[in-house]
Amino acid sequence: MIELGDITPHNVKQLKKLNSVIFPVSYNEKFYKDVLTSGDYAKFAFYNDIIVGGVCCRVDSSDNRRRLYIMTLGCLAAYRCLGIGTVMLKHVLKLAETDGHIDSVYLHVQINNDTAMAFYKNFGFEVIETKSSYYKRIEPSDAYVLEKKLK
Amino acid sequence: MPSQLPPKENNLFKRVVKCYEQKQYKNGLKFAKQILSTPKYADHGETLAMKGLILNCLGKKEEAFDLVRRGLRNDLKSQVCWHVFGLLQRSEKKYDEAIKCYRNALKWDKDNLQILRDLSLLQIQMRDLEGYRDTRYQLLKLRPGQRASWIGYSMACHLLEDFDTALAVLEEYRKTQEVKSYDYEFSEFLLYQNSVYREAGRNKDCLEHLEKYEKQICDQVSIMEVKAIVSYNLGLKDKAEKYYRQLIDRNPSNNDYYTGLVKVLELSTDEMMANLYSEFVEKYKYSHAPKLLRLQVTSGDTFKRYVGDYIKHALRRGSPPLFLNIRPLLKDKTKAKIIEELVLDYSHNLKNHSKLLTDDENKEPPTTYLWTLFFLAQYYDHFRKLDVAMKYVEEVLDHTPTLIEGYTLQAKIYKHADNLQLAAKLMDEARSLDTADRYINSKSAKYQLKIDNIEKAEETCAMFTREGVSAIENLNEMQCMWFQTECAASFLRQGKIGEALKKCHEIDKHFTDIIEDQFDFHTYCMRKMTLKAYISMLRMEDILRSHPFYFKCAVLAIQAYVSLHDNPITETEEDTEVNSDGLTAKELKKLKSKQRRAKKKAELKEEKKADSKDTNDKKKADDNAEPKLDPKKLVQIPDPLDQAIKFLRPLQDWSAETIDTHLYAFDIYYRKGKYLLMLQSLKRARNIDSQNPQLHINIVKFALAVKAKADLNKAVSQVVETELEVLLEGMKLQEFNDNFIERNKNSIAHQSAGAEALNILNPSASDRVLQLCCNLSYDHIETELPVCAKVYKNLQKDTFGKVPESVIETYRKSCSQLFPLAAVFQDNQTASETNEVVSSLSELSVK
Repeated sequence: MIELGDITPHNVKQLKKLNSVIFPVSYNEKFYKDVLTSGDYAKFAFYNDIIVGGVCCRVDSSDNRRRLYIMTLGCLAAYRCLGIGTVMLKHVLKLAETDGHIDSVYLHVQINNDTAMAFYKNFGFEVIETKSSYYKRIEPSDAYVLEKKLK
Repeated sequence: MPSQLPPKENNLFKRVVKCYEQKQYKNGLKFAKQILSTPKYADHGETLAMKGLILNCLGKKEEAFDLVRRGLRNDLKSQVCWHVFGLLQRSEKKYDEAIKCYRNALKWDKDNLQILRDLSLLQIQMRDLEGYRDTRYQLLKLRPGQRASWIGYSMACHLLEDFDTALAVLEEYRKTQEVKSYDYEFSEFLLYQNSVYREAGRNKDCLEHLEKYEKQICDQVSIMEVKAIVSYNLGLKDKAEKYYRQLIDRNPSNNDYYTGLVKVLELSTDEMMANLYSEFVEKYKYSHAPKLLRLQVTSGDTFKRYVGDYIKHALRRGSPPLFLNIRPLLKDKTKAKIIEELVLDYSHNLKNHSKLLTDDENKEPPTTYLWTLFFLAQYYDHFRKLDVAMKYVEEVLDHTPTLIEGYTLQAKIYKHADNLQLAAKLMDEARSLDTADRYINSKSAKYQLKIDNIEKAEETCAMFTREGVSAIENLNEMQCMWFQTECAASFLRQGKIGEALKKCHEIDKHFTDIIEDQFDFHTYCMRKMTLKAYISMLRMEDILRSHPFYFKCAVLAIQAYVSLHDNPITETEEDTEVNSDGLTAKELKKLKSKQRRAKKKAELKEEKKADSKDTNDKKKADDNAEPKLDPKKLVQIPDPLDQAIKFLRPLQDWSAETIDTHLYAFDIYYRKGKYLLMLQSLKRARNIDSQNPQLHINIVKFALAVKAKADLNKAVSQVVETELEVLLEGMKLQEFNDNFIERNKNSIAHQSAGAEALNILNPSASDRVLQLCCNLSYDHIETELPVCAKVYKNLQKDTFGKVPESVIETYRKSCSQLFPLAAVFQDNQTASETNEVVSSLSELSVK
């Protein structure tokens, strides 16, 4: 029922459609260009053969660390609580583990997003930092940084 | 001049022939030259002919014909010369001429196998069946040892419906065959032989034949199908039933098997049929066919239960073709109502409880709700309740904005609502979401053509056509007729008659080409023994232009030619149109001569290129030589109506059951003043639908034309008078029209036709005309958008005389309330709002 699939130049516009309705932030062209070259780090989630969600990450090698950063992970409102997010997150965690050289997985969550907080905590993510005024055009503009250590 | 050459030259001549056969054209020419340079034999006919034949293969057509004609003149009694001339004619596709040449050749060498074979091919191509049979008989007599001789002759007899001879020859041939364990070609032969028994109506022999050779026939399904039908024909019900049940077991999705079984079992009531179908529904759980058939024959609560089960299953599976399967049932109003209520109930339950029925145990996945909304949008679109349909499709897209089908459906609804701009925009949106899907790509191109954006349509198609070639050219080469038809329609709307005609002729040529392409199969199929397929191909080619694609194309061509007749385009007109950007006459002249020179140069260059090309490929040379279709020349013709008739003929031959054929025929003959032919088209149309609105107008026009024409030939006038009385049902013209209006009170199409006729009859009755055609209070007026749009255009075009602006405006307003989405009735403000939506959509796609 739930399957992951590739994002290709042919269907990348569906990702734009998804992101525009799921997230309050809009992403630039570069984001979508990078997604096309990131292989398994960017995936669609199919539910009964329909694209309903997507996850996009990149490897972040700053401060002498290799970390996996989840840029977006989301699913359409009508398809929540069906385990689609779990499938996507598990996929990401597994990628990070098989890579072998990744210290941790991290991401940003808007501070009022309780569902997201509960979701990630469930997978062993912890708040390591609060960034004030992280978001530019949305309220509240602060974000938590959540991290799950792998090593 | 004697044709006999001395031994040395004769040897050379043989080498010429051999070189030709082995395609060593240069050597062939060399040897021919050696003969012809001997003064004594400079005019040797056969050598000249052979030289011509070789040159023809090298693409030098004119020279070739010259030589062959000269050769023939010098040696009229030579079979070689005649044969060569025939080959040349054949390469020119002048098959009738070629047949004559071959016949002449045979006069001098009546048993020449090669010529006989070539002749037989031409005869079957031209469907000279009797000639074909005679030639095949000759061949059989001369070469009884060859398989093709027997098959060819029996096939000729078969096509002439001389079944007895055909079967006798086939049986003789069969006897000579050894039985091998696996022989596909022999299996095909047996099936062919069997099909001749069946066509001859010899059911008993047919069945026995099958039973006898069953083991040697590979195609098991064909055996069973024929057995079932023939057993039924013979009244062997038990056998027939058994075979049909076996067939269903093999393939439970074939409707024909079920209907065949119903016929065998003589089930007369719906209930009996429903019971039979139920049996199969139980047995083949995954098969749709028995379920859908059962829905046809049940009603009331039983129907409700079955259709509910069917729809629920499909909604859960997420099956977009659900609506297509259900659609045939909607013709029945009660069934449509039941379906509507059921699905509305589902959508309500899903929205509130995530269940299809409130007492269901499990919750449904969100996709079930999605497809339920989708179904409802399709349902209301079908009944042209477009505002409701739009509401549902919007819900679909709110729910799942990534559902591509949602956008295509919304585009379709806008199309039905006559808002083509938005429709095209949405279809392109759908396309952009999956650019690897050629189906949506084509749809998007088609919608672009509907808004006359040919350039964008071409760009869209180019994403899938071969690189390096223009899409338009490639689509023509690929015989992509839907595209060309839509292009033609678009050009016609834009008044570019020449361009439209070009497209129509291109399509017409595809049909000619398909008929042409048979040629290769005459030998191929005989050799490969695919005889049944070959026969059905021949029969298909015979009625090729009955294809709906041809119909569409012919209708456009007729419209184009008729409009050309009504508004001829002169050369100057066309030119001023092209160069109207403020040039003085002198400048214009200069520019034109420059253009002409440039064009000539380009043409020359092209010719050279064609010449220098490797001309071994004869086919290519042929194609290059074909005259290109020039839109400008296509419109400058003296006889547009005669051209229109060329397109009309195939419609009269193959689409006579379609009323439009005869309505267009009238349009043409009316303009040509051909009274008997007008009458013929009216009578034919009347036999199909005596109350057709356009037919009514045509009858009125005809009656008036007859009245106005005083000098009709006496015999003609007598026929016309008598028949006219029949057409008018013995009434006076005015009375006939009143009667028509009265009789069809509840149809806006008829009322507006009545109004149009009244306007023709009595131009001063404009009050009544307007009252009739502006009336909008009918049942189901929401489905009549095309008629309303036509009336509105007629009002604007002053078809009913000068109509006060206020009347038109009132009509527009009422229509725009009835059809809020239709672009044609929108005032400027709404139109600009639409434009805003269109542009906001394009912004969205940029983002």
